[in-house]
Amino acid sequence: MPSSNQLERPRFTASGVRRGSVEIAPIAAFVIPFGIAFGVAASARGISPGISVFMSVAIYAGTSQFAALDLWYAPLPLATLALTVLAVNARHILLGAALAPWLLQIPILRRLAALLLLSDANFAHTMSARDRGETDAGILFGSGLTMWIIWIASTAVGALAGSLLGDLSRFGFDAVMVAYFTAVIVGWWKGRSDLFPFITAAAVAVAGTYFLPPGWHIIAGALAGGMVGV
Amino acid sequence: MVDAVAAISAVVLLAVVTMATRVGGVWIMSYVKITPRVEAFLNYMSVSVLISIVAATTWAAGPRIWLGVGTAALVMVATRSAVGAMLAATALAALARNFGF
Repeated sequence: MPSSNQLERPRFTASGVRRGSVEIAPIAAFVIPFGIAFGVAASARGISPGISVFMSVAIYAGTSQFAALDLWYAPLPLATLALTVLAVNARHILLGAALAPWLLQIPILRRLAALLLLSDANFAHTMSARDRGETDAGILFGSGLTMWIIWIASTAVGALAGSLLGDLSRFGFDAVMVAYFTAVIVGWWKGRSDLFPFITAAAVAVAGTYFLPPGWHIIAGALAGGMVGV
Repeated sequence: MVDAVAAISAVVLLAVVTMATRVGGVWIMSYVKITPRVEAFLNYMSVSVLISIVAATTWAAGPRIWLGVGTAALVMVATRSAVGAMLAATALAALARNFGF
Protein backbone atom coordinates (compact mmCIF):
# COMPACT_ATOMS: atom_id res chain seq x y z
CA MET A 1 0.00 0.00 0.00
CA PRO A 2 2.61 2.64 0.92
CA SER A 3 4.67 1.92 -2.21
CA SER A 4 2.00 3.34 -4.53
CA ASN A 5 1.69 6.46 -2.38
CA GLN A 6 5.37 7.18 -2.43
CA LEU A 7 5.11 7.65 -6.17
CA GLU A 8 2.98 10.71 -5.53
CA ARG A 9 4.99 13.85 -4.79
CA PRO A 10 4.50 15.63 -1.44
CA ARG A 11 2.45 18.79 -1.81
CA PHE A 12 0.76 21.55 0.19
CA THR A 13 -2.74 22.53 -0.89
CA ALA A 14 -5.75 24.41 0.42
CA SER A 15 -7.79 21.23 0.37
CA GLY A 16 -5.16 19.58 2.59
CA VAL A 17 -5.39 22.51 5.01
CA ARG A 18 -9.18 22.16 5.10
CA ARG A 19 -9.04 18.42 5.65
CA GLY A 20 -6.47 18.72 8.44
CA SER A 21 -8.46 21.39 10.26
CA VAL A 22 -11.57 19.16 10.35
CA GLU A 23 -9.90 15.83 11.06
CA ILE A 24 -8.12 17.07 14.20
CA ALA A 25 -11.22 18.54 15.87
CA PRO A 26 -11.92 15.58 18.23
CA ILE A 27 -8.27 15.63 19.41
CA ALA A 28 -8.20 19.41 19.66
CA ALA A 29 -11.09 19.32 22.12
CA PHE A 30 -8.73 17.76 24.68
CA VAL A 31 -6.69 20.98 24.64
CA ILE A 32 -9.56 22.98 26.17
CA PRO A 33 -8.93 22.08 29.85
CA PHE A 34 -5.22 22.84 29.44
CA GLY A 35 -5.92 26.19 27.82
CA ILE A 36 -8.31 27.08 30.62
CA ALA A 37 -5.73 25.92 33.16
CA PHE A 38 -3.06 28.10 31.55
CA GLY A 39 -5.33 31.15 31.58
CA VAL A 40 -6.19 30.57 35.22
CA ALA A 41 -2.56 29.94 36.23
CA ALA A 42 -1.48 33.12 34.40
CA SER A 43 -4.13 35.08 36.32
CA ALA A 44 -2.81 33.56 39.53
CA ARG A 45 0.59 35.09 38.59
CA GLY A 46 -1.06 38.51 38.20
CA ILE A 47 -0.93 38.52 34.39
CA SER A 48 -3.75 40.42 32.68
CA PRO A 49 -6.09 38.46 30.37
CA GLY A 50 -4.87 40.46 27.35
CA ILE A 51 -1.25 39.40 27.87
CA SER A 52 -2.22 35.77 28.59
CA VAL A 53 -4.18 35.58 25.35
CA PHE A 54 -1.35 37.28 23.46
CA MET A 55 1.02 34.60 24.82
CA SER A 56 -1.22 31.87 23.44
CA VAL A 57 -1.53 33.65 20.08
CA ALA A 58 2.18 34.37 19.64
CA ILE A 59 3.96 31.52 21.43
CA TYR A 60 1.35 28.74 21.13
CA ALA A 61 3.39 26.13 23.02
CA GLY A 62 1.52 25.30 26.21
CA THR A 63 4.19 23.72 28.38
CA SER A 64 6.70 26.48 27.71
CA GLN A 65 4.03 29.10 28.43
CA PHE A 66 3.43 27.47 31.82
CA ALA A 67 7.20 27.44 32.40
CA ALA A 68 7.42 31.16 31.56
CA LEU A 69 4.89 31.88 34.34
CA ASP A 70 7.45 30.68 36.86
CA LEU A 71 9.81 33.47 35.72
CA TRP A 72 7.18 36.18 35.28
CA TYR A 73 8.13 38.95 37.69
CA ALA A 74 9.39 42.52 37.34
CA PRO A 75 11.90 43.24 35.93
CA LEU A 76 11.37 40.36 33.49
CA PRO A 77 14.47 38.13 33.36
CA LEU A 78 14.65 38.00 29.56
CA ALA A 79 17.72 35.78 29.22
CA THR A 80 16.46 33.08 31.58
CA LEU A 81 12.97 33.31 30.09
CA ALA A 82 14.32 32.83 26.56
CA LEU A 83 16.63 29.96 27.55
CA THR A 84 13.91 28.21 29.56
CA VAL A 85 11.45 28.44 26.68
CA LEU A 86 14.18 27.28 24.30
CA ALA A 87 14.93 24.27 26.51
CA VAL A 88 11.26 23.24 26.78
CA ASN A 89 10.62 23.70 23.07
CA ALA A 90 13.87 22.10 21.90
CA ARG A 91 11.70 19.02 21.39
CA HIS A 92 10.15 20.76 18.38
CA ILE A 93 13.49 20.29 16.65
CA LEU A 94 12.94 16.53 16.81
CA LEU A 95 9.41 16.83 15.43
CA GLY A 96 10.65 19.00 12.57
CA ALA A 97 13.51 16.61 11.88
CA ALA A 98 11.07 13.70 11.64
CA LEU A 99 9.00 15.65 9.11
CA ALA A 100 12.04 16.85 7.15
CA PRO A 101 12.18 14.11 4.48
CA TRP A 102 8.65 15.12 3.55
CA LEU A 103 8.78 18.88 4.00
CA LEU A 104 12.11 19.40 2.25
CA GLN A 105 10.35 18.40 -0.98
CA ILE A 106 7.85 21.26 -0.93
CA PRO A 107 8.67 24.92 -1.76
CA ILE A 108 10.24 26.87 1.10
CA LEU A 109 7.40 29.32 1.80
CA ARG A 110 4.86 26.52 2.03
CA ARG A 111 7.31 24.55 4.14
CA LEU A 112 7.54 27.46 6.60
CA ALA A 113 3.75 27.81 6.64
CA ALA A 114 3.37 24.09 7.41
CA LEU A 115 5.78 24.45 10.37
CA LEU A 116 4.32 27.70 11.71
CA LEU A 117 1.82 25.91 13.98
CA LEU A 118 3.78 22.73 14.70
CA SER A 119 2.90 21.07 18.03
CA ASP A 120 2.92 17.56 19.49
CA ALA A 121 -0.73 17.00 18.64
CA ASN A 122 -0.77 18.04 14.99
CA PHE A 123 2.59 16.33 14.50
CA ALA A 124 1.14 13.04 15.76
CA HIS A 125 -1.93 13.51 13.61
CA THR A 126 0.14 14.29 10.51
CA MET A 127 2.49 11.35 10.99
CA SER A 128 -0.39 8.90 11.32
CA ALA A 129 -2.10 10.42 8.27
CA ARG A 130 1.17 10.00 6.41
CA ASP A 131 1.28 6.33 7.34
CA ARG A 132 -2.16 6.01 5.78
CA GLY A 133 -0.73 7.40 2.55
CA GLU A 134 -1.36 11.16 2.92
CA THR A 135 0.95 13.24 0.71
CA ASP A 136 -0.47 16.69 1.41
CA ALA A 137 1.54 18.65 4.02
CA GLY A 138 -1.36 21.12 4.17
CA ILE A 139 -2.92 18.88 6.81
CA LEU A 140 -0.08 19.79 9.21
CA PHE A 141 -0.96 23.46 8.89
CA GLY A 142 -4.73 22.85 8.90
CA SER A 143 -4.67 20.67 12.00
CA GLY A 144 -2.35 23.21 13.65
CA LEU A 145 -4.80 25.98 12.82
CA THR A 146 -7.69 24.28 14.64
CA MET A 147 -5.48 23.52 17.65
CA TRP A 148 -4.22 27.12 17.71
CA ILE A 149 -7.71 28.67 17.67
CA ILE A 150 -8.97 26.35 20.41
CA TRP A 151 -5.84 27.04 22.49
CA ILE A 152 -6.38 30.81 22.21
CA ALA A 153 -10.12 30.61 22.99
CA SER A 154 -9.67 28.35 26.00
CA THR A 155 -6.85 30.55 27.34
CA ALA A 156 -9.22 33.53 27.10
CA VAL A 157 -11.90 31.67 29.07
CA GLY A 158 -9.44 30.70 31.82
CA ALA A 159 -7.83 34.15 31.99
CA LEU A 160 -11.16 35.99 32.22
CA ALA A 161 -12.53 33.54 34.81
CA GLY A 162 -9.30 33.88 36.80
CA SER A 163 -9.34 37.66 36.74
CA LEU A 164 -12.96 37.78 37.93
CA LEU A 165 -12.47 35.40 40.85
CA GLY A 166 -10.04 37.48 42.93
CA ASP A 167 -7.65 35.67 45.29
CA LEU A 168 -6.92 32.50 43.34
CA SER A 169 -5.19 30.51 46.07
CA ARG A 170 -8.67 30.15 47.62
CA PHE A 171 -9.47 27.85 44.72
CA GLY A 172 -6.10 26.12 44.71
CA PHE A 173 -5.30 27.66 41.31
CA ASP A 174 -1.77 28.53 42.43
CA ALA A 175 -1.19 24.75 42.38
CA VAL A 176 -2.31 24.29 38.76
CA MET A 177 1.12 24.80 37.19
CA VAL A 178 3.12 22.43 39.41
CA ALA A 179 0.30 19.88 39.25
CA TYR A 180 0.33 19.97 35.44
CA PHE A 181 4.12 19.63 35.30
CA THR A 182 4.04 16.76 37.80
CA ALA A 183 1.52 14.96 35.59
CA VAL A 184 3.67 15.50 32.48
CA ILE A 185 6.78 14.22 34.28
CA VAL A 186 4.98 11.11 35.55
CA GLY A 187 3.51 10.53 32.08
CA TRP A 188 6.96 10.90 30.54
CA TRP A 189 8.51 8.30 32.88
CA LYS A 190 9.55 5.23 30.90
CA GLY A 191 11.43 3.15 33.45
CA ARG A 192 14.28 2.83 35.88
CA SER A 193 16.85 4.37 33.54
CA ASP A 194 15.05 7.72 33.87
CA LEU A 195 15.63 7.82 37.60
CA PHE A 196 19.20 9.12 37.55
CA PRO A 197 18.61 11.95 35.02
CA PHE A 198 15.43 12.99 36.83
CA ILE A 199 17.05 13.07 40.26
CA THR A 200 20.09 14.89 38.88
CA ALA A 201 17.89 17.59 37.31
CA ALA A 202 15.92 18.01 40.54
CA ALA A 203 19.03 18.11 42.77
CA VAL A 204 20.89 20.59 40.54
CA ALA A 205 17.82 22.82 40.32
CA VAL A 206 17.22 22.87 44.07
CA ALA A 207 20.94 23.47 44.78
CA GLY A 208 20.93 26.19 42.10
CA THR A 209 18.26 28.17 43.94
CA TYR A 210 20.88 28.79 46.66
CA PHE A 211 23.88 29.91 44.62
CA LEU A 212 22.74 30.88 41.12
CA PRO A 213 21.09 34.16 40.06
CA PRO A 214 17.25 33.91 40.11
CA GLY A 215 15.85 31.68 37.38
CA TRP A 216 19.14 30.08 36.33
CA HIS A 217 18.51 26.99 38.45
CA ILE A 218 16.01 25.93 35.75
CA ILE A 219 18.62 26.18 32.99
CA ALA A 220 21.20 24.38 35.15
CA GLY A 221 18.74 21.58 36.00
CA ALA A 222 17.68 21.24 32.36
CA LEU A 223 21.26 20.95 31.09
CA ALA A 224 22.22 18.54 33.88
CA GLY A 225 19.22 16.28 33.18
CA GLY A 226 19.89 16.41 29.44
CA MET A 227 23.57 15.54 29.80
CA VAL A 228 23.02 12.70 32.27
CA GLY A 229 20.21 11.34 30.08
CA VAL A 230 22.45 10.90 27.02
CA MET B 1 3.74 44.06 38.47
CA VAL B 2 5.18 43.73 35.00
CA ASP B 3 4.22 46.68 32.80
CA ALA B 4 2.44 46.06 29.49
CA VAL B 5 5.24 47.15 27.15
CA ALA B 6 7.81 44.94 28.89
CA ALA B 7 5.34 42.03 28.87
CA ILE B 8 4.54 42.38 25.16
CA SER B 9 8.25 42.64 24.26
CA ALA B 10 9.02 39.54 26.31
CA VAL B 11 6.20 37.58 24.67
CA VAL B 12 7.49 38.58 21.21
CA LEU B 13 10.98 37.40 22.20
CA LEU B 14 9.61 34.06 23.43
CA ALA B 15 7.55 33.68 20.26
CA VAL B 16 10.67 34.17 18.12
CA VAL B 17 12.58 31.58 20.17
CA THR B 18 9.70 29.10 19.86
CA MET B 19 9.38 29.68 16.12
CA ALA B 20 13.09 28.99 15.73
CA THR B 21 12.58 25.56 17.35
CA ARG B 22 9.65 24.83 15.01
CA VAL B 23 11.61 25.68 11.87
CA GLY B 24 14.97 24.54 13.26
CA GLY B 25 14.51 20.78 12.95
CA VAL B 26 13.81 20.81 9.23
CA TRP B 27 16.53 23.39 8.66
CA ILE B 28 19.12 21.35 10.58
CA MET B 29 18.08 18.18 8.77
CA SER B 30 18.87 19.80 5.44
CA TYR B 31 22.52 19.87 6.62
CA VAL B 32 23.13 17.06 9.13
CA LYS B 33 21.54 13.98 10.61
CA ILE B 34 20.21 14.08 14.19
CA THR B 35 21.89 11.23 16.06
CA PRO B 36 20.18 9.17 18.79
CA ARG B 37 22.48 10.85 21.34
CA VAL B 38 21.36 14.34 20.31
CA GLU B 39 17.76 13.13 20.35
CA ALA B 40 18.16 11.73 23.89
CA PHE B 41 19.77 14.98 25.05
CA LEU B 42 16.94 17.14 23.67
CA ASN B 43 14.26 14.85 25.11
CA TYR B 44 15.78 14.72 28.59
CA MET B 45 16.51 18.44 28.54
CA SER B 46 12.84 19.26 27.80
CA VAL B 47 11.47 17.16 30.64
CA SER B 48 14.27 18.34 32.95
CA VAL B 49 13.00 21.91 32.68
CA LEU B 50 9.71 20.76 34.19
CA ILE B 51 11.49 18.66 36.83
CA SER B 52 13.62 21.68 37.78
CA ILE B 53 10.58 23.92 38.19
CA VAL B 54 8.61 21.35 40.20
CA ALA B 55 11.60 20.45 42.40
CA ALA B 56 12.58 24.06 43.17
CA THR B 57 8.98 25.21 43.69
CA THR B 58 8.11 22.28 45.93
CA TRP B 59 11.34 22.68 47.91
CA ALA B 60 10.55 26.32 48.65
CA ALA B 61 6.78 25.90 49.13
CA GLY B 62 4.64 24.83 52.07
CA PRO B 63 2.54 21.75 52.86
CA ARG B 64 -0.30 22.92 50.61
CA ILE B 65 1.80 22.70 47.44
CA TRP B 66 3.45 19.46 48.65
CA LEU B 67 -0.02 18.02 48.92
CA GLY B 68 -0.85 19.26 45.41
CA VAL B 69 2.29 17.77 43.84
CA GLY B 70 1.85 14.45 45.66
CA THR B 71 -1.79 14.24 44.63
CA ALA B 72 -1.02 15.05 41.00
CA ALA B 73 1.65 12.34 40.89
CA LEU B 74 -0.60 9.70 42.47
CA VAL B 75 -3.60 10.50 40.29
CA MET B 76 -1.41 10.47 37.17
CA VAL B 77 0.08 7.08 38.08
CA ALA B 78 -3.38 5.66 38.80
CA THR B 79 -5.40 7.15 35.93
CA ARG B 80 -2.89 8.41 33.30
CA SER B 81 -5.09 11.51 33.04
CA ALA B 82 -3.25 14.83 33.24
CA VAL B 83 -6.57 16.69 33.48
CA GLY B 84 -7.66 14.44 36.37
CA ALA B 85 -4.32 15.06 38.10
CA MET B 86 -4.70 18.85 37.75
CA LEU B 87 -8.28 18.85 39.00
CA ALA B 88 -7.55 16.63 42.01
CA ALA B 89 -4.45 18.62 42.99
CA THR B 90 -6.25 21.94 42.61
CA ALA B 91 -9.23 20.75 44.65
CA LEU B 92 -7.03 19.49 47.48
CA ALA B 93 -4.93 22.67 47.46
CA ALA B 94 -8.14 24.69 47.74
CA LEU B 95 -9.40 22.49 50.56
CA ALA B 96 -6.10 22.78 52.43
CA ARG B 97 -6.20 26.57 52.04
CA ASN B 98 -9.66 26.68 53.56
CA PHE B 99 -8.40 24.65 56.50
CA GLY B 100 -5.75 27.30 57.06
CA PHE B 101 -2.59 25.88 55.46
